[in-house]
Amino acid sequence: MKGTAMSSSSDRISGAFFCLFGLAMYFLVIPVYVETAEGGSLAPNTLPNIISIIIAVSGAFLVIKPTKHQMRDPRRMAITGFYVLLLIAGIYGMSKFGFEFVAPVLAFALMWMIGERRPLWLISGVVLMPALIWFVVTQLLGRGLP
Amino acid sequence: MVDFATILAGFSDAFSLYNLMFVLLGVVLGQFVGAVPGIGPIMAMAIAIPFTFGLDPLPAIAFLVGVNKGGLVGGAVPAVLMNTPGTPDAAATALDGYPLARQGKPLKATKMALFSSVTGDTFSDIVLITISAPLAILALRMGPIEIVALMIFAFSILAGLVGTSLTKGIIAAALGLLVASIGTDPENFTPRLIFGFWDLFNGLPLPSVAIGLLAISEILHRLSLAHGNVRAAITVADTGNPDDRRVTWIEYWTCRYTMMRGALIGTVLGALPGIGSTAAAFMSYSMTKAGSKDPKSFGKGNLHGIAAAESANSAVVGANLIPLLTLGIPGSVGAALIISAFMIHGMQPGPLLFENQGRLVYGLFGAMLMANFLNLWVGQLGLRFWIKVVSAPESIIFSSALLLCFVGVSMATNGLFGVSIMLIFAVLGYVMASFGYSLVIFIIAFFLGPRFEKSIAQSLSLTNGDLTQVFKSPVAAALLILSVASFIWFLRKNVQDDAE
Repeated sequence: MKGTAMSSSSDRISGAFFCLFGLAMYFLVIPVYVETAEGGSLAPNTLPNIISIIIAVSGAFLVIKPTKHQMRDPRRMAITGFYVLLLIAGIYGMSKFGFEFVAPVLAFALMWMIGERRPLWLISGVVLMPALIWFVVTQLLGRGLP
Repeated sequence: MVDFATILAGFSDAFSLYNLMFVLLGVVLGQFVGAVPGIGPIMAMAIAIPFTFGLDPLPAIAFLVGVNKGGLVGGAVPAVLMNTPGTPDAAATALDGYPLARQGKPLKATKMALFSSVTGDTFSDIVLITISAPLAILALRMGPIEIVALMIFAFSILAGLVGTSLTKGIIAAALGLLVASIGTDPENFTPRLIFGFWDLFNGLPLPSVAIGLLAISEILHRLSLAHGNVRAAITVADTGNPDDRRVTWIEYWTCRYTMMRGALIGTVLGALPGIGSTAAAFMSYSMTKAGSKDPKSFGKGNLHGIAAAESANSAVVGANLIPLLTLGIPGSVGAALIISAFMIHGMQPGPLLFENQGRLVYGLFGAMLMANFLNLWVGQLGLRFWIKVVSAPESIIFSSALLLCFVGVSMATNGLFGVSIMLIFAVLGYVMASFGYSLVIFIIAFFLGPRFEKSIAQSLSLTNGDLTQVFKSPVAAALLILSVASFIWFLRKNVQDDAE
């Protein structure tokens, strides 16, 4: 019973989000960020507008009639948030220092967060894999790394 | 439509040493990643696409097909050994494979999975090769009005069949179409929803969206599950009896009807968009169990159970390409990734592909048949090794996969902007999957979006904006009526399911 209530509320939350998202797209975003054009059989904003309405109506329908879908464990979702932050930091680091310097650090941080403590596997992930990627991309394929 | 010389030229291309090398590489990689729980062929295909940029279209697509086919064989290994399918398709295989492994016969179970997988796959490839060209001729007679109606029909089927809720399916499809509209409008070429980022002028980069949604979002999910939970190595039981390490000809031949039934179910379901190989495997398994003289032995290590599941799930792969090659509509995520490979190499899948790129299409068919043969060969040699792969720690697998995604997308999009887009779609994919929205529908709608809008514009031009003209085309009218009927049917089914 508790699970159903939880799943209903998760559907209501996502339904309300999509309802608002569709309305925001229709009234606020599309009028500003889609340029108008003369002529043609289909205006640039026609399809995005129709889609926004469909999203808003479907979202509202989901709020009224939620399904029995069980949402993923919120605790796991929060953990995922930390991994996403780490990846954002990784992208930022690569833009500043390059893949060669950031990849081993990123790999180490990821493996450590998962819980890997075995030195041999850590060395493989932190040194061997980035080195292998560097070799394949720059030496074999002749392409640049980020 | 395609003359015999073109067909022969296509097949000879496929059998060249250079192309065979890529098929072999794809099969080996596919079996390897299929054997690793958590990666699977779809993620491997998504990661591999950017690395195929420098290749000619045939070896690139043949390589990806090899990954997909090899992945289905490899996916059976963790299903049998750990009761943890490497791919969702292999879940039915675990029902009888795992009990066999516990009886000390893991090699017998994985070999039966290999033989039935190759049998089912070859059957569906032959069906694909035989019927796709005639179907493409029929499809060529369709104009933009019929194409719009067909896409609406495909969306209605996908929204109803994939996922748990029709409403969520519609939202996922609409979101995919909305995201596809970012970039330049196809008729007036004016910028649309680019928010000042001129890198988006040509639309969102395909590799960023595909890899973010299909690979990174799944890795993020797996990371959260693996967090603080480093897996111990697996010990594989062995009776020491050589007969328990192989499948005899008699055992294989006894399962022939089971495999043919599975192959037929997989082929029929694979040709329909959205149903997928997991459903085919379970349907084949249930029908085999129901028709067996000894149904109680199922779930306890019956070889027929493995044969039924594997022949059906592998038969879906070839059949999935029927709607892709004849109509340009991908029926699954695997097919959507192959469509993206076609598009990256400058080709638009659909009936015209047979006319314009007949040699390539038959080269692909040849490569698919060779991939089946190589799957068998690599599987025979490699199963003992893949069994060891299962015990590789997730920490190294996921960190390496993430680095590969970063590098692959950066190469494909020439910089970190594409990588940032990839991460945005990874988060979007993760959140959507967490709330039960289908990523399959989203990605297929994203791929079809530009063609959908272009066909609508052409239809409006042809009919001078009079939508009632649509009903003058019997095919379009029939498809639209079918779309409405399927929509109502799925809606009623949803209501009934909720009531239960």
